[in-house]
Amino acid sequence: MESFLQTLIAGVLLGGLYALIGIGMTLIMGVMKIINLAHGELMMVGMYIAFWMFTLFGIDPYLSVFIASPILFFLGILIQRFLINPVLKVDSILPENQVILTVGIGMVLANLATIFFKSDYRATPVSYGTSAWYLSDYWESAPFDLSLSVPWTVSFVIAVAITIALWFFLSKTDSGKSIRATAQDLDAALLMGVNVKLMRVVTFGLGSALVGAAGCLFIPIYYLFPSMGGQFTLIAFVITILGGLGSTNGAIFGGLILGIFESMTATYVGMGWAPVGRFLIFVAALIFLPGGMASLLKKKRIGK
Amino acid sequence: MKKYLPLIVLACLAVLPLVGLSSYMLHMIVLVVMWSAVGMAWNLLAGYCGQVSFGHAAYFGVGAYTSGILYYKLNISPWWGIPISIVVVTVFSFLLGLVVLRLRGPFFALATLAMGEMMRVSAENLNWLTGGNIGILIQERTWIDKTYYYYIVLAIATATFLVVKYLMQSKIGYYFVAIREDQDAAESLGIDTTWYKTIALCISGALTGIAGAFYTNYMGYIDPHIVFALHDVSIVTIMIVMVGGVATLFGPFVGAIIMVFLAELVRSIPGLGVAHQTFFGILLILIIIFLPNGIVGDFQKIKRLFKFGGACK
Amino acid sequence: MKRLSVMMFMLSIVCGAAFAGPATAETLELGIPLPLTGAQAKFGEMEMRSYQIAMEEINAKGGIKGMTVSLNFEDGQGKPEISRAIAEKLIDVKKQPIIFGDYSSSCSKAIAAVANERKVPYLVVTGADDAITQQNYEYVFRMNPSNAYYAAGLGSFLSQVVKPTSIAILYESSDFGTSGADEMEKYGEKIGMKVVVKEKYEKGAVDFKPILTKVKAQKPDVIYMVSYVMDASLLMKQIKELRIEAKLFAGGAAGFAIPEFINNAKDAAEYVVTATLWSTQVNYPGAKEFAEKYKAKFGDYPSYHGAEAYSALYIVKDAIERSKSMDPADIRAAMKATKMMTAFGPIHFADKDGYQNQNFMETLVLQVINGKHETIWPESTASAKYVYPIPKWRDRK
Repeated sequence: MESFLQTLIAGVLLGGLYALIGIGMTLIMGVMKIINLAHGELMMVGMYIAFWMFTLFGIDPYLSVFIASPILFFLGILIQRFLINPVLKVDSILPENQVILTVGIGMVLANLATIFFKSDYRATPVSYGTSAWYLSDYWESAPFDLSLSVPWTVSFVIAVAITIALWFFLSKTDSGKSIRATAQDLDAALLMGVNVKLMRVVTFGLGSALVGAAGCLFIPIYYLFPSMGGQFTLIAFVITILGGLGSTNGAIFGGLILGIFESMTATYVGMGWAPVGRFLIFVAALIFLPGGMASLLKKKRIGK
Repeated sequence: MKKYLPLIVLACLAVLPLVGLSSYMLHMIVLVVMWSAVGMAWNLLAGYCGQVSFGHAAYFGVGAYTSGILYYKLNISPWWGIPISIVVVTVFSFLLGLVVLRLRGPFFALATLAMGEMMRVSAENLNWLTGGNIGILIQERTWIDKTYYYYIVLAIATATFLVVKYLMQSKIGYYFVAIREDQDAAESLGIDTTWYKTIALCISGALTGIAGAFYTNYMGYIDPHIVFALHDVSIVTIMIVMVGGVATLFGPFVGAIIMVFLAELVRSIPGLGVAHQTFFGILLILIIIFLPNGIVGDFQKIKRLFKFGGACK
Repeated sequence: MKRLSVMMFMLSIVCGAAFAGPATAETLELGIPLPLTGAQAKFGEMEMRSYQIAMEEINAKGGIKGMTVSLNFEDGQGKPEISRAIAEKLIDVKKQPIIFGDYSSSCSKAIAAVANERKVPYLVVTGADDAITQQNYEYVFRMNPSNAYYAAGLGSFLSQVVKPTSIAILYESSDFGTSGADEMEKYGEKIGMKVVVKEKYEKGAVDFKPILTKVKAQKPDVIYMVSYVMDASLLMKQIKELRIEAKLFAGGAAGFAIPEFINNAKDAAEYVVTATLWSTQVNYPGAKEFAEKYKAKFGDYPSYHGAEAYSALYIVKDAIERSKSMDPADIRAAMKATKMMTAFGPIHFADKDGYQNQNFMETLVLQVINGKHETIWPESTASAKYVYPIPKWRDRK
């Protein structure tokens, strides 16, 4: 019982953070239909910002969310405006050629980080880094002991807050609605007078800002080095497909499912197999649930 | 001229070892030829048939491990892996196709990516079969002289080239292109798209697997992180074709020269240090922005550019 | 189409010109393959800096046989085929009579095969897979013990001090992690220690709590972890968070022995012991000086990887100076006869227990005491008395 509950807690916390990484990608993939292989590298940039803010000025990584997100927003806009847009415009046999572009961007970002910051492993040793709340501290005669890590919980809560803010932006504001319209039906959106070009730029900026924020939330519980991006790009893919392209609600559920599933596999099957489990549900979702979680939500009328 | 180009290139490549290249250069050329074979195989599935696979490492790795396991478990010469891998990888591709070919576009791409990663993790965990993360080390390679390896890989690449060329001249080739251009339209014309996609996948997979089996023999050491690598195999393959020219016969070859040879050249520029990757990354970005169909695919554009600039005549 | 072939021709000429670099007689140019980009870059960088320190020292004292040493670092990116390309280049184009360096086992294997085929001695620095020196490679030498011996010192510490009855083994899914875990399992059987959990994980994992929860339920005496890098500090942080009480937390070198481990895990790192090949406190000649020099220059102490690289250049120097000529075969003979003391420890390449040209050495045990790595085992070289039993998490402030 203790194992199960502890694993569940771990899975939910992890899932919430995964969701934030995934949302950025799901927006970009939904609106622009491109596979962004530089997503993890953008997260790395966000983490470096948080790291240097902490090291140079002693700014708490969680506060860096407000610094890293705007910077990454502009970085994303620049990348979209000057690199991705020209490629999207031209006619090519396979539209997937933008993949190389994002691979190239990722390579440059990771390599620049190596040049400027060396390949040392970095971390922000915050004072609350290893503190946790224990069930037995509050309830003396607890039948078992559960723990809740402070930084993990704070990161989770902030991730949820960002997600809610994003949800409001997408469903209540005009620009948000335009982004969703572009994702759902490009031609219809064009006909309705949505400035699709602008929306694409904004979306890429927004996606980058979100993953930058995720970077700030990850650094207190994780660590940082220049070539760390790849694995987070992969995780973001899985969540995007699990949730359904372009659906933020789907991405949240996708992230949670992935987090819980991975944790359960690690406890009950073996951690070496956890990545197989991850891709197994990924492929299963692709085949049996092509619209991702979003399509299920729609059926149940709780989605948008 | 154009008709004989393949023969000319082949002849040039065939006499290459005779001019007394250093073993270092020969190694680079072996890699170029091997990667162009993989690129051609990928090109058949993605460039012509329109099914962009992000998981060719799965076929490459299964081919490589076929060879490796023959040696490691059965004590048979790993060279048998080349013919045997054709069978193994074809069956493997067929089974994989049952799952992934139901999907389209980015979904297909991501499903194949997941398959590649799943194969890697499986190879890591099936210790009794693959030796797990320790990998398989072939104690003694067959030859020290690389010329033999070179001719073998050249034969593999030539065969791959011919298969792709003749397939694309046949009726099947037209079906492939029809599927790429519009799958629904192709279906409505009575083309059994799933069947032809399966054919493309199996042939492409088998050709990749042969190259993988060659890799085991040539390098003498494999482990899951090397042959099932997402970035170093799957994505490198895509880049080779995209940079060289999608849906062109020579594109993969040109792309392999750039991705292997030019990368090595950039790496060797003195004083550049670790910045060589930035340099190479920018190069890739520029190529794709200005030549979206690759160097061979947009060759007319290059020609025009040179004429405008007056650099060429 | 014609233009294409012309372009190709030009390209090949340019390549030829760039690839062939002349070497002057006054300087001894040595190329070293190292992973300077990619996931292993941290260690490549540390080794590069250490080689540079050694080079400066050697040059200040007159170089090797009167020749100034000039080092060329080649980025192998941790890819075996590129490492092999570098080795081919050094042997074939640069005519370098001895190859040394690279970091991971897979790259070292690629180079070792080439070096042995081409009959050029290769000194393995840090590649730890047992198989490298078990292939009857006449020309391949290894200065670090093979993986099977990494935890020998830790093993004796366990059996003499801790006397555990059960152990949980967590290891990274790489050749280093796997063979380290297998060795500990074998050793556990020998001393009657039950392995209750043996699990691997993918490098770079974020959350170890599920697997640690499983470990917690088994209540092992010792938790032994083999991790390359920062996984080590994440593991300890999360162990502390889950308050898993074991008699001892032990690491298998690499990730537990680098300074980043303490910097990141902070108080969770306290009292963790780790196997290691070297520490800054060992009393080998030059060890402390090297460590201080490194720290003064780069701000942190090096781990055993740095010491190995630093000493490797001295071994090469020694071999070249004793060799009759610059012929690879003569240098091999000189290497084989090596018997010297370095900052990394005594070096002698022996053939025994199925290994060839393998340097066998005593391995140490470190413990984090008051936020510092202290050598605690073997007691003859200890810089501090070990802390055992360790306090429970609950009782730590």
